[in-house]
Amino acid sequence: MDIFSDLMMGLSIAITPVNMLYLLAGAMVGMVVGVIPGFGPSAGLAILLPITFGMDPVPAIMMLAAIYYGAMYGGTITSILLNTPGESATVASTFDGFPLAKNGRAGPALVMQAVASFVGGTVGVVLITILAPMFAQVSRSFGPPEYFLLAIMGLLTLIVMIGEHWKLGLISALIGLALGTVGVDLETGQGRYTFGSAELIGGIYFIPIAIGLFGVGELFYAFYQSMHKTGTGGIVNYDKEERFWPTRLDFISTRMTMVRHSILGFVVGVIPGAGATIASLMAYSTERSLSKNKENFGKGEMAGLVAPETANNAASSGAMIPLLTLGIPGSASTAVLLAAFLMWGLRPGPLFMEQNPELAWGLIASMYLGNVMLLAINIFAIPLFVQLIKVPYRILGPTIVVICTLGTFSVNASFIETYIMFGAGIIGFFMRLYGFSPAALVLALVLGPLAEEALRQTMTISRGSFIIFVERPASLWIIGVTILLLAILPLMNHFGKRASEAEKSGT
Amino acid sequence: MRIAFLFFVLAASVYYTYVAFADLSFLTRTGRLGPGFFPRLVGGSMVAFTIWALADALRERREPENDAGTWGDVLALMALGLGYTVLLRLIGGFPATVIYLGLSLLIINPGRHLQNAILTVAIPTVIFLLFDRLLNASMPPALLNLPF
Repeated sequence: MDIFSDLMMGLSIAITPVNMLYLLAGAMVGMVVGVIPGFGPSAGLAILLPITFGMDPVPAIMMLAAIYYGAMYGGTITSILLNTPGESATVASTFDGFPLAKNGRAGPALVMQAVASFVGGTVGVVLITILAPMFAQVSRSFGPPEYFLLAIMGLLTLIVMIGEHWKLGLISALIGLALGTVGVDLETGQGRYTFGSAELIGGIYFIPIAIGLFGVGELFYAFYQSMHKTGTGGIVNYDKEERFWPTRLDFISTRMTMVRHSILGFVVGVIPGAGATIASLMAYSTERSLSKNKENFGKGEMAGLVAPETANNAASSGAMIPLLTLGIPGSASTAVLLAAFLMWGLRPGPLFMEQNPELAWGLIASMYLGNVMLLAINIFAIPLFVQLIKVPYRILGPTIVVICTLGTFSVNASFIETYIMFGAGIIGFFMRLYGFSPAALVLALVLGPLAEEALRQTMTISRGSFIIFVERPASLWIIGVTILLLAILPLMNHFGKRASEAEKSGT
Repeated sequence: MRIAFLFFVLAASVYYTYVAFADLSFLTRTGRLGPGFFPRLVGGSMVAFTIWALADALRERREPENDAGTWGDVLALMALGLGYTVLLRLIGGFPATVIYLGLSLLIINPGRHLQNAILTVAIPTVIFLLFDRLLNASMPPALLNLPF
């Protein structure tokens, strides 16, 4: 009953005309970010974060969250019509999405992906509504040792998921941790790596680094891959098809697919480091194993599109749980969201929902509304996004550079930050090129100061003894879960990659 | 190129670790962990893992590098971007954006002069209406006094 009344309170906050307008804007921008190949929600959030500075925290957070989960919807349009995923979480949607479009069923595929995304997203939000207060309750007993272990768990799981390049992922995370140490040490007041610069006293600001790595760095990489030279000639013309809407059989045959992969996606999303990409690949692989029409997978099977779409949207909802209740982001996108919370002086964690009920429940309620909006936008605004796909990358590229640069400048009116952003962009490009992980760097940059503070507090409490980590039951639980995840995640990764490779080889 | 990048990371790691050991104390006067504790831990690990990754990269050097990307356009875009940040400081937001877009489109979208001319003016106008008027965000002021 408490949850219900909290949710109603959240709805009353979210449903005001101004907040609805920002939510709609966030959903639309998220779709646009998802549609542009090479740009994921992390890039979109980082680039658009400065724009929200002049806004109140509630509509700003609602808008940013809508960009985050809206990108999951948008990424599939290019997967279906162009055989090019808008972002990594929609790679699995190309396996059957594009064959469906080639078979003259682009319209039904687009509608079914919207419905699947809506179901996955909504089930995810229902589970957040039920589980987030429980998680918050459990995490109230956590102290500095547990927070240090959680930060380490978040980083380790992300590195493990990188797979064969784990060493480069670890180096990326260490670079992020190193950047996080720049600035004045809050305990002693001693400057660290400031080199006498007043601009560095407060530390290296997160936003220029995130915009540089995910915005400009990704753009350079897209140019390196000659994406500006490839046209959109291969786009499927869905408007010339006889039937736009799916058949009753499409809905009936995939209803259980949506249910099982909503739950699978949510669970994978809650695990730090796993995320929507792994969730979608696992969902595709599982669905193919369970299906009676295995041989149709890869040739235009509707369940093969619905499964990953449901899972990636449920996973993006699941990732909000550790963010809201522990203050620990599990991915680069949620790290940018955490930075947004911190910017407004809000500290997500066990007491966040209790101390900021309007914001927390307003955000959760807005996710219900956002998913409804995205369903409508996804179906009725498809022509608009198809036009956007047709804008060549060679025009989008310089425009994105302008937005990144002016967006970075607008945060603190600092030219130094625009230089840092460009430097991060160039380094981000080389990191991407040589197998490093910009996501691990950004996550470590956010988690580093939290981890350091928690570790130093822990050592003060224990008088320098590491035994404290195995003396406290909560710490032991976290160590146990971390070990379990480190054992399971490589298997999940392998499972997902195998599905992807099998699809590519056509077996 | 990968090896060169790893050497760059190694050099930065060594310098970071050197500063952690040379300038930052491990413990505070009260015997608590000091500002140098975490940087030493991070720096030491960074040096060790970068050397490991570098050794791997040197071992694999004989295999041909898959380096088939478009370097020319990337380098041009990088140079233009860096030039843009300098121009922003000198001549302010709007004129710098017009010049940057004009040059960028001339290089990566050649031959479409009318389209490029329209975009060169239209995109900065829309962006400035959005940032300066609608969002009231601070835009880069010019260091030099321009007549416009």
